[in-house]
Amino acid sequence: MTKIKLENISYVYSPGTPYEVTALNDVSVDITEGTITGIIGHTGSGKSTLVQLLNGLEKPSSGRVLVDGTDIWEKPKEISKVRFKVGLVMQYPEYQLFEETIKEDIAFGPRNMGLDEAEIEERIALASSFVGLDEELLEKSPFDLSGGQKRRAAIAGIIAMKPDVLVLDEPAAGLDPLGRDEIFKSIVKYRNETGATVVIVSHSMEDMARLCDELIVMAHSKVVMQGNCREVFSNAGELEKIGLSIPQVTKLMMLLKEKGVCVDGGVYTVKDAVSELAKLFKIDH
Amino acid sequence: MKNISFGQYYPAESIIHRLDPRTKVILAILYIVCSFVCQSAIGFTALIFSMLAIILISKIPIKTILRSIKPVIIIMVFMAFLNLFLVKGGVELTVWKITIYSKGIYTAVTSVLRVISLIIGTGIFLTYTTTPIELTDGIEQLFGFLKKIKIPVHEFAMMMTIALRFIPTLMEETDKIISAQKARGADFTNGSIVKRAKALIPILVPLFISAFRRADELAIAMECRCYRGGEGRTKLHVLRYRTRDFISMFIFIAFLAGLILINCFGVEYPFIENGWF
Repeated sequence: MTKIKLENISYVYSPGTPYEVTALNDVSVDITEGTITGIIGHTGSGKSTLVQLLNGLEKPSSGRVLVDGTDIWEKPKEISKVRFKVGLVMQYPEYQLFEETIKEDIAFGPRNMGLDEAEIEERIALASSFVGLDEELLEKSPFDLSGGQKRRAAIAGIIAMKPDVLVLDEPAAGLDPLGRDEIFKSIVKYRNETGATVVIVSHSMEDMARLCDELIVMAHSKVVMQGNCREVFSNAGELEKIGLSIPQVTKLMMLLKEKGVCVDGGVYTVKDAVSELAKLFKIDH
Repeated sequence: MKNISFGQYYPAESIIHRLDPRTKVILAILYIVCSFVCQSAIGFTALIFSMLAIILISKIPIKTILRSIKPVIIIMVFMAFLNLFLVKGGVELTVWKITIYSKGIYTAVTSVLRVISLIIGTGIFLTYTTTPIELTDGIEQLFGFLKKIKIPVHEFAMMMTIALRFIPTLMEETDKIISAQKARGADFTNGSIVKRAKALIPILVPLFISAFRRADELAIAMECRCYRGGEGRTKLHVLRYRTRDFISMFIFIAFLAGLILINCFGVEYPFIENGWF
């Protein structure tokens, strides 16, 4: 079932001035309920703008955004309800922490929803367990946390609103591999346990290949490809033309295939590649 | 927020854009003096034509310029009304029970004209055609002589440059923080004043933190490149007066001289004395 549908969306910054920039040009996208959808694209391809349209932070210059089949701009006064439904974690969310303790910061969203204190407590506990924040950290100031911990606290602030759709803009940017894995693990956990739809924006093909069910490739303010990982990564040439790469392991398998080795060139995770190669050597894996 | 381009610099290709920033500061000052020297109707006609000429030469759309006048319209209307009803002299004119004088009309019109020319003059020469960085550079060199009396001109200019440089960055940052807090359901438009003031905390705290962080990073980056202030520093873009700078200054001085001459020989309120009212 389609959770979010974008219909012929265009978005123009500063229209009518010399600074006019078209960020999105006639974009149509379907995001299926319960999937993890990845949006990949070069810097300036319109990814971040697209993501901000999903929860009504920006209003499209033309076109419609449908969440659960209803146009979110039908009742502009109730746009904040959409924002609770579609939780957006912006880039570098740790810079938005403002409360004295992590706990209070996580409570900001639920409090804006008008929940009672008992429910808020429950949500804080739930959200912090999803992202793997220890209880003792909750009473600390954001200044006392490491970069990775701050990032997770900020994500917990969105998860505490229990959004139907969790949208994350570059959630792993600037983190070390361990911090990155922890973030992705908590995202997958949230999806698996709540059945929520997840949208992730990223540059890293490896991460996207590992995480996502569906991929949307953007270039020059347009959607150029949309499909599952296998479909998208089979267009290696086209991806390279727009300045994107394919996962290293796919590159390797394609090379092998080119050299005449009988393997599937469309493999995009290391795990699949191992079993594919094991087949070749007739080893049980 | 993206619509606010600070300093309102309007990129275009015109001779005014290409003038040396120091020249533009001088021209702006000369133009202000001109508008105050104007007294006669001929003088003001010349001022109006000069305004139109400058707007045309600068290639800045009239719409943009009108937008800059908009905020002071209330002040201008207020000023015009005061002049209209309080200034006495010349021919009397009574409509119902209100009496106004021709001199009142004249001063009302001219004072509004003066304010408009002030805004257009400074606007076109300083904000629309000069980037803030060029402007501080120009001001620094223009006031370089103050170094002799131990005023740290370079340091002030550097502070101003940094401040100007960071305004767009901080605006962008503010924009992002507002979006992020809105994404968590923050509401900045509804509720009582106290509630709305409180709603600013989630924006101001992260903004201050990030401003201090940026200042810190910038200080370290400058230190790394051995920045030690203005002593013995050379410039990447050396400002040089060119022929167009001298020509434009000459034109303005001639214009000012012309206005002064008109004042000396001209008649102040020609139509009043001729009884045109």
